[in-house]
Amino acid sequence: MTESLRTIAVGFDGSHDAETAVRWSMKLASETNANVVVVNAVGMLGRFDNPTVAFKLEDSVRRLADEYGLDTTRVTLHVDDGDACSVMMRMAEEPINASMLVVGSRGQGKHPGLLLGSTSLELAEHTTIPLVIVPS
Amino acid sequence: MMLVMNGRYEDAGHEEYGHPERPDRAIAALQGVDQLHLESDLRIVNPYAATRAELVRVHEGAYLDELGAFCYAGGGDIDEDTYATYDSWTIAQYAAGSGLAVVRELHEKRDGVGFVVTRPPGHHALRDRAMGFCLLNNIAIAAAELTELGERVLIVDWDVHHGNGTQAIFWDDPNVLYVSTHQSPLFPGSGGAYEVGGSDAIGRTVNLPLPSGATGDVLRQAIDEIAAPTIDEFNPTWVLVSAGFDAHRDDPMADLALTSGDFALLAKTVAGYAPGPGRLAMFLEGGYDLEALRDSVAATLGAVLESPYRPEAPSYGGPGTEIVSNSQVERTAALRIAHEAALREEQQ
Repeated sequence: MTESLRTIAVGFDGSHDAETAVRWSMKLASETNANVVVVNAVGMLGRFDNPTVAFKLEDSVRRLADEYGLDTTRVTLHVDDGDACSVMMRMAEEPINASMLVVGSRGQGKHPGLLLGSTSLELAEHTTIPLVIVPS
Repeated sequence: MMLVMNGRYEDAGHEEYGHPERPDRAIAALQGVDQLHLESDLRIVNPYAATRAELVRVHEGAYLDELGAFCYAGGGDIDEDTYATYDSWTIAQYAAGSGLAVVRELHEKRDGVGFVVTRPPGHHALRDRAMGFCLLNNIAIAAAELTELGERVLIVDWDVHHGNGTQAIFWDDPNVLYVSTHQSPLFPGSGGAYEVGGSDAIGRTVNLPLPSGATGDVLRQAIDEIAAPTIDEFNPTWVLVSAGFDAHRDDPMADLALTSGDFALLAKTVAGYAPGPGRLAMFLEGGYDLEALRDSVAATLGAVLESPYRPEAPSYGGPGTEIVSNSQVERTAALRIAHEAALREEQQ
């Protein structure tokens, strides 16, 4: 499997769970020579969010990449409009062409055990490429 | 001409502190109607909670069960944008039922124009998922009933956000033509000109993406040059409108530069596609600046009802004419590819 693992797309909303998923992805990338695209979905309310959010995400991604010895040519932050599930599914298509999707088991503000709105469950149902759900 | 509207139902229970999709929006829309002083030219039909049989024409039963159970458990945030409360399930059913009630009244009487003032809005809701403030896809639920009756339904969606839910629901339905004008890039990230419909409905989706700052003249150019020939060919027997007013220049959710006068011109154009009286209904979608929403509703309905209401002037001179030309090229190429693929499949 690792031979075809070229790009890992991992969802990141700044939550603790998402950071666990990013760490897992970066560790795998450092072992397999894959690239990592850290994906942040901007919803309808995104434009009301504090503009420093994007910078904070970028800082976090840079810090984590350093920790796993991955340089900036192998780790990129991709910010895209849409809900988290739709944006992650688009990562399997051009131009990203990810070969694996990675998400945390729960993102920001989700209720434990809630099925409705669960990105990981939605992706499990609809994804056309391998999906890894990293437990918190 | 008569305006047919749904009666008010209690929607105040669907509210989250600080969220822009709030009960004041419906009040602002109704204030827009009041500005027209319609009096005896206004007919109100009773809203009701849409039945499960009516909802499953569009939504998966498992999703409806889950949404109802989630609300009755107290609700909460469904995703980063979308919330539900204890009351939201009932309110969403009334929103869907209001659309059906207005459309049935028009269909039966063959008279008037419909305006459905409901919330939460609907055009982002997918078959199996709430999204973008939307729980049930109100306009799709009404369109599905009409296609069951054998109608060919044109849906024009002029909300500033692409109506991904409506597009997805009718992606393969040759009896629905979906035309959307929207800002791009913007949530939900779909709505490219190359999205032209599924293999059973090639060409039945028309997306007209517009850049930030686009004015009404650019939007009208897109409709005239790209959508109009397809609409003429489709020859609709019914016209439904996802009437969002967040493309107004004062709206905080996006960056198009339309005025209420642009909505008046747009409404007049779209009304021209209805084959006769009682075959046009508009559904409230977005619109988050209350004054812009009020004035745009008045302008839209005033234009269609030929009322003496005078809206602000239409807008001109914004960017995007070359993007409209590119969309035409992209759409033509996508249609060719889709037809070739269909032909190959047929030959196999």
